[in-house]
Amino acid sequence: MATNLVKYTEESLVISLKENDKKAFEHLYDNYSSALYGVIYKILNNEEKAEDVMQEVFLKIWRKINEFDPSRGRLFTWMINIARNSSIDLLRKEKNVFKEDIEDSVGKVDRLFSESKEISHIGIKDLIENLKPERKDLVDLVYFQGYTQEEAAEKLSIPLGTAKSRIRVALQELKNYFEL
Amino acid sequence: MNIKDYIASGILEEYVMGVTSEQETQEVKCMSHIYPEIKAELLKLEDALGQYARLYERKPSTTLKDKIFAQMEFKGHEESKESVEEESTASVVKVVPLWSKISIAAAILLGIYAGSLYYDNQQTKADMNALSARMTEMDKQNAVNQDFLAMYKNADMKIVKLSGKEISPESSVDVFWNQKSQEVALNVLNLPKPESGKQYQLWTIVDGVPVDMGMIDKDFQGKILKMKATAGKVIAFAITLEKEGGSPSPTLEKMYVMGLV
Repeated sequence: MATNLVKYTEESLVISLKENDKKAFEHLYDNYSSALYGVIYKILNNEEKAEDVMQEVFLKIWRKINEFDPSRGRLFTWMINIARNSSIDLLRKEKNVFKEDIEDSVGKVDRLFSESKEISHIGIKDLIENLKPERKDLVDLVYFQGYTQEEAAEKLSIPLGTAKSRIRVALQELKNYFEL
Repeated sequence: MNIKDYIASGILEEYVMGVTSEQETQEVKCMSHIYPEIKAELLKLEDALGQYARLYERKPSTTLKDKIFAQMEFKGHEESKESVEEESTASVVKVVPLWSKISIAAAILLGIYAGSLYYDNQQTKADMNALSARMTEMDKQNAVNQDFLAMYKNADMKIVKLSGKEISPESSVDVFWNQKSQEVALNVLNLPKPESGKQYQLWTIVDGVPVDMGMIDKDFQGKILKMKATAGKVIAFAITLEKEGGSPSPTLEKMYVMGLV
């Protein structure tokens, strides 16, 4: 994937990025653009808009890299949050997200899974079996659609406490799944 | 607060999902700095969610990379922007005309004369004493305010705003942290009066460990409070209410204010 000869640890990559080193940003793009673009596309579900936001996000990462503090978390988490926030902002601006039917979201996710052959090797089937749909829906509403827990609970017609505990369990399941 | 309970409370999950309030977000950030167990759990959750997000990986079109990089400027490619000529600053000489000097002098003399007539009166002398006492007080306050102002204006001074925690959301303290000398002083904007036998204590978090920064004078209103100087890489300041004279480690349930640097 990466054509760069330079090998980076996360630490040395961050240092080079902060020095505004072109090779480091190319490495970053080569290695992370698919992940970032995937999130943006998942949220916006439109190639053209997703590419616009992808540009905005990558430029934002470039401009704000000095605000990233490695002691406070990982670079990937920081970048993915920029991608999420920018996409959700646009989504909010463009339409009333709450009118979207939950069935659509679920359908979209299913479609994505069946369309994407690249992800099958990660054992996505296992994960889906592990993560109950009722929990996955909640995670996706909040994480990819920017719902608050209250809004998500209302949408799914479940008590707030139930929504909160389902999200908690879902994340613990994800954690255990990826820890293996 | 028990760390296990904190981890089990679900707030870390809410944090990584981005649904915590601003105050909760600050709290999680600070707690994860103080407690390695919390940080480890947080990183695991963030990684898990990151991995989950990665399941949706999708390649953007091949032309996008060039389009983005064409908008970026890198080290060694910047154009020299130094060449802008500095505007020549003509030296400005303040000219005060003679007539104005004379008229001011005349006004002062007249004032002193009128004053001496007026204040001959005994009664007025008493008023004067009271007035001068008040003046001294105001001078003192003014000097303190000037000191505060100088602190806020000092370019070496990093101001860290500590905001109120759950037990006292209204509380607010400014930390003046001299980046050259590492000296620390406080301006207490709002803290409740401590009950008797209790005293506020300042802490820094250095490498995840709380470090004592000294006790806060019980009479903390309206003055600059000099504290200990910092050492090491400070990531946060916090104030807890402790027994008089202080504690070796902070009582977290009694954390009144906190702020990340």
